[in-house]
Amino acid sequence: MGYTRKLAIRNYIVEGFLILASLIVLLPLVILILGSFKTSAEVLSFSLRLPDTWQFSNYVRVFQEGGLSRAFLNSIWITGISSIINIVASSAAAFILARRETKLSGTIYMYFFMGLIAPMSIITTIRVVQGLGFYGSITSVILIYAALNTAFSVFLYSGFIKTIPRALDEVAFLEGASVFGVFFRIVTPLILPVNATVAIMVFMSVWNDITIPVYFLTDSSTWTMPLSIYNFYGKYSRDWNLIFANLVLTSLPVFILYLFGQKYIVSGLTAGAVKG
Amino acid sequence: MKRTKNLYSYYMIFPALIIYSVFFVVPAIAGFYYSFTDWRLDRLELTFIGWDNFKKIFSDKTLILALQNTAIFALVTVVGKNVIGLLLAVGLNMRLRTKNLLRAIFYSPSILSILVISILFTPMLRTEGTINQMLEAVGLHSLSQAWLTNPSIVIWTIAIVSIWQSAGFQMAIYLAGLQSISQEYYEAAKIDGASSWRSFFKITLPLLLPAININLMLTLIGGLKVFSEVYVMTGGGPGNASQVVGTIILRSFGEGNWGLGTAVNTLLFVVVTIIAIPLLIFMRRKEVTE
Repeated sequence: MGYTRKLAIRNYIVEGFLILASLIVLLPLVILILGSFKTSAEVLSFSLRLPDTWQFSNYVRVFQEGGLSRAFLNSIWITGISSIINIVASSAAAFILARRETKLSGTIYMYFFMGLIAPMSIITTIRVVQGLGFYGSITSVILIYAALNTAFSVFLYSGFIKTIPRALDEVAFLEGASVFGVFFRIVTPLILPVNATVAIMVFMSVWNDITIPVYFLTDSSTWTMPLSIYNFYGKYSRDWNLIFANLVLTSLPVFILYLFGQKYIVSGLTAGAVKG
Repeated sequence: MKRTKNLYSYYMIFPALIIYSVFFVVPAIAGFYYSFTDWRLDRLELTFIGWDNFKKIFSDKTLILALQNTAIFALVTVVGKNVIGLLLAVGLNMRLRTKNLLRAIFYSPSILSILVISILFTPMLRTEGTINQMLEAVGLHSLSQAWLTNPSIVIWTIAIVSIWQSAGFQMAIYLAGLQSISQEYYEAAKIDGASSWRSFFKITLPLLLPAININLMLTLIGGLKVFSEVYVMTGGGPGNASQVVGTIILRSFGEGNWGLGTAVNTLLFVVVTIIAIPLLIFMRRKEVTE
């Protein structure tokens, strides 16, 4: 009895301490959200005070003056297509690499794995894209994101595909299925949860990224949400309420995705990162 | 059944292989070559200049400062993110009533863009900003600072913001690791009369090695590649006080010093690989023996 009571007291202390610590995370976020509903004079205190009147008009203004609808569509397009390319290409590659256990496949796996470690070489990538004739285009950014996430995705997929018994494939082969048939009919349905994990991870990292747009999107009509906001931040540096409304808007899609995909993030991390 | 092996056509690797090679590997390899040239925006003809770019890097005070800052940033964030992440995970792995809510709160900053976090913190870190007001409110006047404009602490400030954002992500990986440890080990240890500290060091930490491994790699590599938070919060300033490798590359790109910028990138590539690969091998080996 004494032991469990001591445990209970310890749990209360830990819980109290963690609740206090969570304020360090929570307060800046609350300041951000409250600030997005204030007037530009009110927001300047960056405090936890509630707005005198809730300025929903901030959000309308941001959309009208910030040209956000274009940026929003660009972001959706870039993030969506690069995630899809990444998922299809990486899972197909990981499937073969996991199944063919030869020296060559081991070498190719290491070749992909290097991408997890090595930083990209931006200036030469620009030259390659210029040489191919589409520097500054949305297509170039889509392909670069697909490439940058290949290492991570192949790593996650191949760890998972190895846990699927090979006997399943063999039966299908005996029935006359092709390798594509086996991949799309048998493996793809079984790796749906990993697809969800990869989709969410790639989507979040691409949606949130600013480095690639800074170098590769030279024309404002191709800008993504983060880049438009960075530009807006420079122009409206006095209107923190509008800037904050902008920040909330750009965070909304990933927040919603996170709410729906929460369990895939955790299960994917467990399967891929911790056990892999 | 040996024959089925050949049914797995290598063609299916090609799409990923081509995209990855063209947009990642080819530029990386080309970078090694261009690092040894005087490649400039205004000059199309290249001359091979040997180690000159690298000599320039090590004789330029700003570039050395950038390397130093990158190292400080990486070290501080690796330690901060992992220690805090692990502490949070151990606490939130206990039976607490609010654990699900608290996990979600601590994780939440890591789903946001570093751009959002950086813009949010910029006004709060000013001399008259929220952080200093809070410090003064609790009587810590002496800690009050010009967080982003004091050259001697600016890189530390940026590192702390980065820790604030991502410790919750590290926590999530540690939690996943903790949950894969069987309770039986702890019950056996309890019967043997082991203290909680002893079980932590003798059971938890060794069995958590895969998670520690992946977190160290992620934070270290991420730390060395730092760019966005510095770009948004200070742009490398005040003066050049917070320049890092990432911002130097942008600057040399903007100035048209492409050969030099590529050399800085190559240096980063080599440093990351030299640190990461032995660490990876060492960790893998440790995992196996445990």
